[in-house]
Amino acid sequence: MTLHRLIFVALLGVFLAPAIPADLHLALHGEPKTLDPWLAADESADAIAYLTEGVLIRVNRYTQQMEPELAASWKTSPDGKRIVFQLRQGVKFPDGSPFTSEDVVRSFERMLDPALHSPTADTFKTEHGAVKVHAEGTYSVIADFPAPTASIERLFDQVAIVSAKAAQRPAPGLGPFVIDERRPGVSIRLRRNPLYWKSSLPRVDGVVFDIEQNRDLEYLRFRRGELDLIEKLSPELFDRLAKEMPGAAIDAGPTLDSEFLWFNESQRGDIPDAKREWFQSAAFRRAISLAINRADLSRVVYRGHASPAAGLESPANKLWFNTALKPDPFDPAAATNELSRDGFRLDKGVLRDRHGNPVEFSIITNAGSKTREQMATMIQQDLGKVGVKVTIVTLDFPSLIERISRNMNYEACLLGLTNVDADPSEMMNVLLSSASNHPWNPSQKTPATPWEAEIDRLMLAQAATAGYHARKTSFDRVQEILHQQEPVIYLLHPNALVAVSPRLAGAKPAVFLPHTFWNAEELTIAPGRQGGAQ
Amino acid sequence: MKAARIGAILLLALVAAGALMPERWAAGRYDQQFRELPDAPPSAQFPLGTDAVGRDRLSRLLYGTRVSLLLAPAAALLSCLAAGLLGGIAGYAGGFTDRAIVSAADFFLSVPWLLLLLIVRACLPLDVSPAASVAITFALLGLMGWAAPARIVRAAVASLMDSEFVLMARARGYSSWRVLLRQLLPNVTPVLLAQFWIAVPAYILTETTLGMLGLGVAEPLPSWGGLLRELEGVSPLDQPYLLAPAILLAAVVGSLQLILPREDYPV
Amino acid sequence: MNSEPLLSYRVSAEYRGKGAVLRDVQFEIGQGEIVGLVGRSGEGKSTIASSILGLLPLKGGKCTGWIHFQGRDLLSLRDGEMRRVRGKAIGFVPQSPLAALNPNLRLRAQLDEAWRAHQEGSPDWKPLLQSVSLPDEVSFLRQYPRSLSVGLAQRFQIALAILHRPALLLADEPTSALDSVTQGEILSLFANLNRRYGIAILYISHDLASVASLCHRVAILHQGTIVECGLAEEIFARPQHEYTRRLIAAIPNVPGRSNLDAGGPSSDESRARGILAEHGV
Repeated sequence: MTLHRLIFVALLGVFLAPAIPADLHLALHGEPKTLDPWLAADESADAIAYLTEGVLIRVNRYTQQMEPELAASWKTSPDGKRIVFQLRQGVKFPDGSPFTSEDVVRSFERMLDPALHSPTADTFKTEHGAVKVHAEGTYSVIADFPAPTASIERLFDQVAIVSAKAAQRPAPGLGPFVIDERRPGVSIRLRRNPLYWKSSLPRVDGVVFDIEQNRDLEYLRFRRGELDLIEKLSPELFDRLAKEMPGAAIDAGPTLDSEFLWFNESQRGDIPDAKREWFQSAAFRRAISLAINRADLSRVVYRGHASPAAGLESPANKLWFNTALKPDPFDPAAATNELSRDGFRLDKGVLRDRHGNPVEFSIITNAGSKTREQMATMIQQDLGKVGVKVTIVTLDFPSLIERISRNMNYEACLLGLTNVDADPSEMMNVLLSSASNHPWNPSQKTPATPWEAEIDRLMLAQAATAGYHARKTSFDRVQEILHQQEPVIYLLHPNALVAVSPRLAGAKPAVFLPHTFWNAEELTIAPGRQGGAQ
Repeated sequence: MKAARIGAILLLALVAAGALMPERWAAGRYDQQFRELPDAPPSAQFPLGTDAVGRDRLSRLLYGTRVSLLLAPAAALLSCLAAGLLGGIAGYAGGFTDRAIVSAADFFLSVPWLLLLLIVRACLPLDVSPAASVAITFALLGLMGWAAPARIVRAAVASLMDSEFVLMARARGYSSWRVLLRQLLPNVTPVLLAQFWIAVPAYILTETTLGMLGLGVAEPLPSWGGLLRELEGVSPLDQPYLLAPAILLAAVVGSLQLILPREDYPV
Repeated sequence: MNSEPLLSYRVSAEYRGKGAVLRDVQFEIGQGEIVGLVGRSGEGKSTIASSILGLLPLKGGKCTGWIHFQGRDLLSLRDGEMRRVRGKAIGFVPQSPLAALNPNLRLRAQLDEAWRAHQEGSPDWKPLLQSVSLPDEVSFLRQYPRSLSVGLAQRFQIALAILHRPALLLADEPTSALDSVTQGEILSLFANLNRRYGIAILYISHDLASVASLCHRVAILHQGTIVECGLAEEIFARPQHEYTRRLIAAIPNVPGRSNLDAGGPSSDESRARGILAEHGV
């Protein structure tokens, strides 16, 4: 009896072993709001779309270079208004139907449909009209732009090409994985696309995303071997992992992200006139910047895993960073000088403006972010040394957004920006004075200052130019203006801190998003996973 | 039992002494950043090490004790006063007033108070000093904590209203105010007192929860809640000294429970 | 005794949802007279006490009729006026003396409270305590009710009840919680107070024997009506009503019962009858 059972169990083991899929395990920090790739606007939806959708041109996250994907090749016209794509032949959708130019044309039509409100579509729309895409034969597609547009090709990295024939929504895509099972609030499993056009890829059977909001739990599950990758570690957890699992913690270097502080320069909102006067003074802003010890912020808050910022572009952006700019030094004496030139004076440790008002303001930041709270605390102390009194208010994210983008009832805000793409055109929605995301003074009808007008002009000019050098010259000037005026006081560029399980082979963490699974199709998992339960 | 109570009182006295004179015990002020020594392990200079931005943990713990132990009882007092007033009125008046107040209490109990607190805090002006923000946080806690004790007070008052001696008081011609103040109040006081002692540790813990969410006491003021946040994502086995605020909290709450008046009052 | 009665009572009462409890109950109490109101529990005795004090609404009851007392109809008084009658002109001695004391107030405070309900300052407590045979010491008044015996508590209740020298004392089963020795003491205390201060007493009890020894007149309450009323001796000698006879029969051993039986109608009885006749009994 016992022997029989033993044999049975052994046989069971033999038969079941190959059935356990070799899945890649990761955590998402929230439920994806949509599975429609054209509507993806959150981190989770972007991750799913990245792995399940095929695009014409892929920006390699590691080399930052464009690579042919569904388009085997492409050619941009000299005037920068037309791109001709030659499509890859023999590609099949997961349902077996062939991929043709019709799919590309229909995908663009649907994505650009105003009724869909696709955020991706916005990048293809200009004041002169939207892009027009038409087929020429089964394997050739022509995209016509109403005006010359800079580095258009990179934009195609964002456009998922889906089946024109399939009735289901969202229609099947051409990525390495397809959605297998969705358990709302628990997990999403993707399985390998058996008809993926890169033969013999992906190497793993699937990708399981567990919905896990708590980053400490994410960390513990990684330590237990239940997760294979962590996209973003806090500096503390990174240092802890580096101690506990040397080799698994990887600092991929500075990202395009930045942490920054800005003052409310809007005419709206409930701010005393005296304060508005300070905030609109470039000398005041520069003095504040000089009084903040960026090196300390990096060393203490990020434990060295961040570099002081000179402007909105990170040195990691090799193509576009203005190398002439240096981060503001920590120089309280210079800050005091700058302030006294602007009519401020230090009176028994309290800085007063020309009218005698003590200089004090509040910095809002989002609650629950340890790094930002620590930065705010350190800024509070730094500014205290030049006589500025800072109050820190942590707000939940929706209230924060309400204040900085709608009712404008705030004085200064400490936040960060995650840059997805490295191209200056991606910055339009922040830098144009008319943009709703223009942080310090959004949605201006006409530029409030000459230098904002100049930035507007330069940004529009570079966007309408095809040549890199001309664009670079314009964008360098934009960075220079921002550095002189400091409407936003850029503090740090945090490094990409990721975790990669030692069982994983082929991982090449990149500073672009997604940091770790951008090459998911090439990753392999060593057998012998322990406790890798779903 | 007696020894335990004396021990508890001694401990509380010690904590109070520490909290009242942090400078006698600790190396720096609670907000002084020793930036060359962030996250330092315990040393002679910093017996509990330093926090992420290099502030002396012992100093922060002692000062945070002052903040938490001063304001939690204040908030408890506030909620007990509100509970006494509203619960008392409900039990005394009965009828429609009673139903209205009980419904309001039920509503308050069912409200996700954390969310409410978030909303209220978000609506507050930004330029409030850290001290004021602390006071506001606890005042909100106190104001929102009236419902549960109010129901208990109401029940107590309602049963007192049916009691012989209240009827007797009326038979002797006492005015309503005298019945309320001299007959009901002395009998509700032990109930309120018990509620107060329950509320104090509860509010300390609630502030901790808020602190965990980064919505507690504003920087740079320390509070127990803010200090407990340091335990997030850290293995306490590696840094056992981080447990100091948790141990102190447990000890103080336990001591408060020990010295709680345990006498059974006839009601 | 005056010809004008101290209290003239004619009331029907009911409780919400329970129907009528008193059906046109009528009786009178003369100045300085002790009237016993007898009936088993549930006959409506306490309702009569509550109605006189105007506390029936608190118990969810209401009454119609009149209660003439010192020239006023208590039922038509406003709340404030009625409050000044309670405890001042009409004292009340409860059934359970301990439960009727506030457990969290010292006796001194309770005494002061009772005094301040109607007068400024504080009472002269020494003679008061002496008059009810309580220790006239400060230490006694420093106690909480929980350290009192039932007998002491009842003496204290009586002290509170006579604090303002009321014209009428309502005693609702004042001895039912006491042992028989203490019962006797309390009864003689009532008799004593009646004699010394001329306080009229409505003595409510289920115990015919104790009533007989104390009261001048007795009214028998049965099913919400007064079935018989007369001089104590008369009732015992010639019970008219079946219910009265059963009450008498239930008394285990009444000393001097044969004496009472032998007694004849007195002049007092005819006078009492006359009073009752005025009101149509």
